Amino acid sequence: MQSRVVKPLLAVYTGLFLLFLYGPLVVLAILSFQTGPEGGPQFPIIEWSTYWYQHLFGLTPPSRIAPLPIEESLVRSLVLAFATMIVSTVLGVTSAQAFRTRFKGSGIVFYMIVLGMMVPGVLVGLGMALVANTLGIARHWWSTAFVLHVVYTFPFAFLVMLAIFNRFDPSVEEASWSLGVSPARTFRKVTFPLIFPGVLSAMLFAFTLSYDEFSRTLFASGRELTLPLAIYGTFSVEIHPNVFAFGVLTTLFSFALLGVYAVLMSLSVRRAKRLAIQEDA
Amino acid sequence: MTIADTAEETGTSTARARRARRTALWLITPGVLWMTLFLVLPILMMVYVSFWTQTTFAINPVLTTKSWVTFFTSETYLDALWTTVRIWLLVLAATIVVGYPTALFVGLFVRNKTLQTVLLVLCVIPFWTSFLIRVLAWRPMLGKEGAINMILEGLGIIHAPIEALLFSELSVVIGMTQIYCVFMVGPIAFMLGRIDPNVIEAARDLGAGFGRIFRTIILPMSMPGVVVGAIFVSVMVLGEFATSAALSGRKVNLLGNIIVTQVGSLKWAFAAVVGVVLTIVMGAVVAALLRVVDLRKEL
Repeated sequence: MQSRVVKPLLAVYTGLFLLFLYGPLVVLAILSFQTGPEGGPQFPIIEWSTYWYQHLFGLTPPSRIAPLPIEESLVRSLVLAFATMIVSTVLGVTSAQAFRTRFKGSGIVFYMIVLGMMVPGVLVGLGMALVANTLGIARHWWSTAFVLHVVYTFPFAFLVMLAIFNRFDPSVEEASWSLGVSPARTFRKVTFPLIFPGVLSAMLFAFTLSYDEFSRTLFASGRELTLPLAIYGTFSVEIHPNVFAFGVLTTLFSFALLGVYAVLMSLSVRRAKRLAIQEDA
Repeated sequence: MTIADTAEETGTSTARARRARRTALWLITPGVLWMTLFLVLPILMMVYVSFWTQTTFAINPVLTTKSWVTFFTSETYLDALWTTVRIWLLVLAATIVVGYPTALFVGLFVRNKTLQTVLLVLCVIPFWTSFLIRVLAWRPMLGKEGAINMILEGLGIIHAPIEALLFSELSVVIGMTQIYCVFMVGPIAFMLGRIDPNVIEAARDLGAGFGRIFRTIILPMSMPGVVVGAIFVSVMVLGEFATSAALSGRKVNLLGNIIVTQVGSLKWAFAAVVGVVLTIVMGAVVAALLRVVDLRKEL
């Protein structure tokens, strides 16, 4: 391979690719420091300020620019993401556990679960709205939207857990059973600690996907908005740099979440190592 | 799944297997129930409602094919169908063209595991910014007073801002390409990473140039990755409406946008028809892609 030519060329290309990936976000972050309230969402920066960050928290004198309705929608989105995370992780773990024994119809069930992440959100959202209309059920973010969020995140949790169980050594469980430990206790004391890193990943997936989910929520959530819906509301009106400031803050929040995940992950890995050492001794 | 009884080894093992199957059924039931009620039922409902009678503000469960006829005789709907297919093909091609070289570099040329991980993580980080905000971020990039026009003017390449960058089909394709190309890079890089370096080494020792090696080894072996990426991108782009709403200034109407407007004006039956059409298009696309490469054999 003429890698002396090709490799540097591809390296430069990858750099450009990353620029393409990050360019808009960098521009957005810069423009979030535009002066307000007269500064617009475009260059040039008239004056650097944190006006739009203050605007988000209602710390600025009232102006014609309406604040984003983030306070309530943020709480709703967090509650929704948390509930989705719990339910889809539980469903994911139990379903993947069931798949360890070959049962009848497992092929169909597999595709049925995976279908949940494949079908576009706008379609399930529409279908759910139709079902709710026909049955006369009121649509809310905590009911109709919530079940759709689980439909979306449960397949991810399921696939993560399936991958974890594939690499799982069942002989430790058998050893536990043969020592007279009940299956429930075996799961709690032996299986669960071993699959915990996978469970954490499934939870992270479910939380972030639900927190940002929007196309399923649009038709299924009724009047009370979740955070992505509140942002979508700004699409139809003139956008202001407050949306950009908000984007910067949510990104920082996501990184904090990622940090928590990394800490929990390293703790559980370290614990697993310590247990392994105890066994050896 | 219970305590092994050493006295009757064979008897307990069949009993245990039976019990294991029963436990498995109990464990899978909640998941199956959830998906039946909240995924399969809504989709069936959509098909059913598409045959309901639509009046100006209400729908009645009287079966008719009128909404279907309206769809296939209306220029607006057929236009949207054609636009959806066109945008999908453009974005699919763009994500492959933009993503493949990066995947090639990350998956094949970077042999240092740490650097490889760092590059992949760099590709994934933007996903922790809200999807809608990533879409909105293209506005200050592409606008008349946007960053790209400013830079091009600053460099003296153009003298008047390019207005076609924003609120056009081009802006929708650019936006979607950036948002979805990572789903192409990931699977391709994964497949390329599995190629045994010795194979390439051997080909080189036998005197093959890079072009030849790429055509005969690298490209065929990366095809499953391209197909997986294409499935991801297709499914997401076909169901899209937010990017075109934000970046096209209502000039580009995808099937998704039509559904949103129809629901907004309570035309449920029309929305359902569009939904079913979209489902059929998507099913056909995914089935065709799976036909190109037998995934089960490759994975």
